[in-house]
Amino acid sequence: MDKAALTKYILDKFAGKVDLLDTGKVEPVFRLESDFLLEFCRAINSDETLHIDFLCNIAGVDTGERFEVVYSVASVKNRIRFDFKIAMAYENAEVESVQSVWPGANWHEREVWELYGINILNHGNLTRFLLPDNWDQGYPMRKNWDAPDFVRMPES
Amino acid sequence: MGVIKKLPVYLEHFPGGGIVATSLDYVLSQSQASSIWYLLFGTACCAIELMATGASRYDFDRFGMIFRASPRQADLIIAAGTITKKMAPRLRLLYDQMAQPRYVIAMGGCTVKGGPFYYDSYAVEKGIDHIVPVDVYIPGCPPRPESLLEGCLTLQKKIKKQKIGDWS
Amino acid sequence: MSAPFRTEEFLVNMGPHHPSTHGVCRFLLTMDGEVVVKAVPYIGYLHRALERICENRTYHQCLPVLDRFEYCTSMSCEYAFCLATEKLAGIQAPERAEYLRVIMLELNRIASHLIWYGTTSLDLGAVTPFLYGFREREDILDLFEMTCGQRLTYNYIRIGGVSRDIPPEFIPKLKEFIEKFPRKVDDYEKLLTENPIWIVRNKNVGILSKELALGYGVSGPALRASGVKFDLRRDDPYSLYDRFEFDIPTGTVGDCYDRYLVRMEEMRQSLRIVKQALEQLPAGDIKTKLPPNFKPPKGEVYSRIENSRGEMGIYIQSAGDSKKPLRVKMRGGSYNQLQVMPEIVKGGKIADLVAVMASMDIIMPEVDR
Repeated sequence: MDKAALTKYILDKFAGKVDLLDTGKVEPVFRLESDFLLEFCRAINSDETLHIDFLCNIAGVDTGERFEVVYSVASVKNRIRFDFKIAMAYENAEVESVQSVWPGANWHEREVWELYGINILNHGNLTRFLLPDNWDQGYPMRKNWDAPDFVRMPES
Repeated sequence: MGVIKKLPVYLEHFPGGGIVATSLDYVLSQSQASSIWYLLFGTACCAIELMATGASRYDFDRFGMIFRASPRQADLIIAAGTITKKMAPRLRLLYDQMAQPRYVIAMGGCTVKGGPFYYDSYAVEKGIDHIVPVDVYIPGCPPRPESLLEGCLTLQKKIKKQKIGDWS
Repeated sequence: MSAPFRTEEFLVNMGPHHPSTHGVCRFLLTMDGEVVVKAVPYIGYLHRALERICENRTYHQCLPVLDRFEYCTSMSCEYAFCLATEKLAGIQAPERAEYLRVIMLELNRIASHLIWYGTTSLDLGAVTPFLYGFREREDILDLFEMTCGQRLTYNYIRIGGVSRDIPPEFIPKLKEFIEKFPRKVDDYEKLLTENPIWIVRNKNVGILSKELALGYGVSGPALRASGVKFDLRRDDPYSLYDRFEFDIPTGTVGDCYDRYLVRMEEMRQSLRIVKQALEQLPAGDIKTKLPPNFKPPKGEVYSRIENSRGEMGIYIQSAGDSKKPLRVKMRGGSYNQLQVMPEIVKGGKIADLVAVMASMDIIMPEVDR
C-alpha cells in the first residue's frame, strides 16, 4: 500500500475523527483527539488491511505552546508505516495507555511521564527509571525547565 | 645502609651464591606497579576502547594489567565512560570497597570534566574528581588505546615513587 | 503432619556494576533457589540527556552527540539522523556518498557483531573468541581511521553526504579484508557452533516467541531469530539497499542459539553487500552543499534504519524557523529488547539470564540515551 492509498484509507475509515497533517514528502502524520486514541489503536491493530502490529516509538514533545505525544507505528506483515499524534494543553495533560494493544508501549509511556509529566492513564507502573531515585527537580525535558547546576551552551 | 641510598638494588657476593640487598620500599613499589589489576568498570563508549586495549592488538597484559570483576581484588578503577548523577554513588561505593592502596584513572572527557555532556545535560556528573580522588586523567572522546597505555605507564611511574608510609 | 517443603524466595541485586550486563543495567531478581521468579530491570544509570542536548544544538552539531547514542555502530546513528533530516529538507546525497555510506554502515555492522561475538562468549566463559573477534575488528577500525581519523565516534556521515572521500589506500586494504574475512568467520564458527558447552548453554534457553517479540517491539536479529523475516534494508529500503543482493537469515525456535546463528550469518551477508558496493562504487561528488544557515522546513519525520541491534529510529520535529530541532527522539533496538527480558527469563536459571542478555546484544546507551 503506497502513501496516498494509505492516507485515503485511514481518512475514509475514520472520517471526521482523524485529520491529516501536511508534512510534505515524508510518511503521513495523522492527528486525533485523545479520547479517540485507544479506539483508534485497537482498530488499526485488528484491521485486516492495516494490521498494525508493531509499535516503533512513542515520543513526547514540548513544542513551546503545547504538549504532543507522537506514536510511530508500523506493520511488519503489510509493510506500512505512519505516525499519529495527540496534542494537549499544558494543564492536566494526560493520555490513555496503549499497553493493551502493544505491550511494548510500557517503557515508552513511562518515559513520557517521567520526562514531560504527561500523565498516562491506566498504566499501572508509573515509577521513575531514567532519572535518579531521589530526583526532585521536576520534568527536565520541558522547554522551560531549569536547575541551578544546569549549564546552557553559550550562543556562538 | 649507605649502599641502598645510592642504588635501589645491590648484589652482595657470597661463596656459592649471592644475596640481593634492597629496600622494602623499592621491592614493594616495583612489584605493585608491575601488577596493577583493574576493575572492569565500563559505563559508556570508553569501555569499548578499554576492551580493545585489553584484547589482541594492544594487549594490556604486557603491563601486568589484568581485569577483575570484583572491587575487592582490584587495585585500580579505570572509570571508562560517562558517570551520571545516578551512577555517581555507585562509583563511590565501588571505590570504598577496594583494598588500599587504590588508584583511579579518569578515562575520557566525560570523567575529566563532563566532556561533550558538559552543556545542556541535566544528568551528567561534571567530572568524577569530586566523587573519588583521581590519579591520572586521560583526555579524549574516547581516548585511543595508546593514550590509555600511556596513562597506565604514568600511573606506574607514580606508584614506583611511593613509599610504604604513603599508603593510606 | 508437617508442612510441605517450601523454599524461601529471596532478592538478588545484579548490577549496575556487573561484568556481564554490558554496561550499567541493573536487575532486581526474585529468586527461588537458582530459579528466577521475577526480574525487574532498572535502567537510567547511563541516562545522559542526549535528547535534551540535541534540542540545543544545530542540526550539524547534533551529529557528534548522535555518535555517542550507540557507540558500537556510530555510523548508523549518524546515518539515521542524516536520513531523517534529509527527508525533512528534501535533500538527496550524491550517489558516491550513498555508496560510501553503505560500505561504512555494513563494515560497522560487522564490527559491532564482532564486539557482540567477543563479549557474549566472554560472558559464557570462553575467552578465546574475545581475542579473535577483536583482532578482526581492529582491521575494520583501521579502515575507518584512515577515512575519518577516529576509531569509535566517527562523525563521518554528514547531512547531504559524507565528510571526506576515502583515501587511495582504502580500497586495496578493504579488498584484502574482503578476501580474508570469510575464512575468519568460519574460524569463529568452528570455535563455538558445535562446541558442546556452547550448545548446552544456548540451545532452548531464553525462547522468545514470535508474538511476544512483535508485541514488545523487538526488532533486528532477535526478531529474525524468532522466525520473522523482517529486515528494514529489504522491507522499507533506504539508501541504496535495493540495489544489492543479500539474504536475510532467520531462526526457527527463537532461542539464544538461533540468535547466535543469525548474527554469524549476518556478518557474511554484510560482507557480501560491501563487496557489491565496492564493485559498483561510482566516481563523483561526496557532498551536497548546504547553506551555512541550514534550516529544514516545518514538519516532522520518524525515519528508521536497520541497525545491528534492530530498528534504530530517529524522530525529528522541526519548527521551521530555527537552526535547532524542536525535538529529537532516539529509539534504539535494545530499549525494547531489554523490556521483553523479564518475560523470557522468568522460570529460568540465573545463569541463563546472562546468556539471554548476551544473546540479545543489549547495550545500555541505546536504552538510557
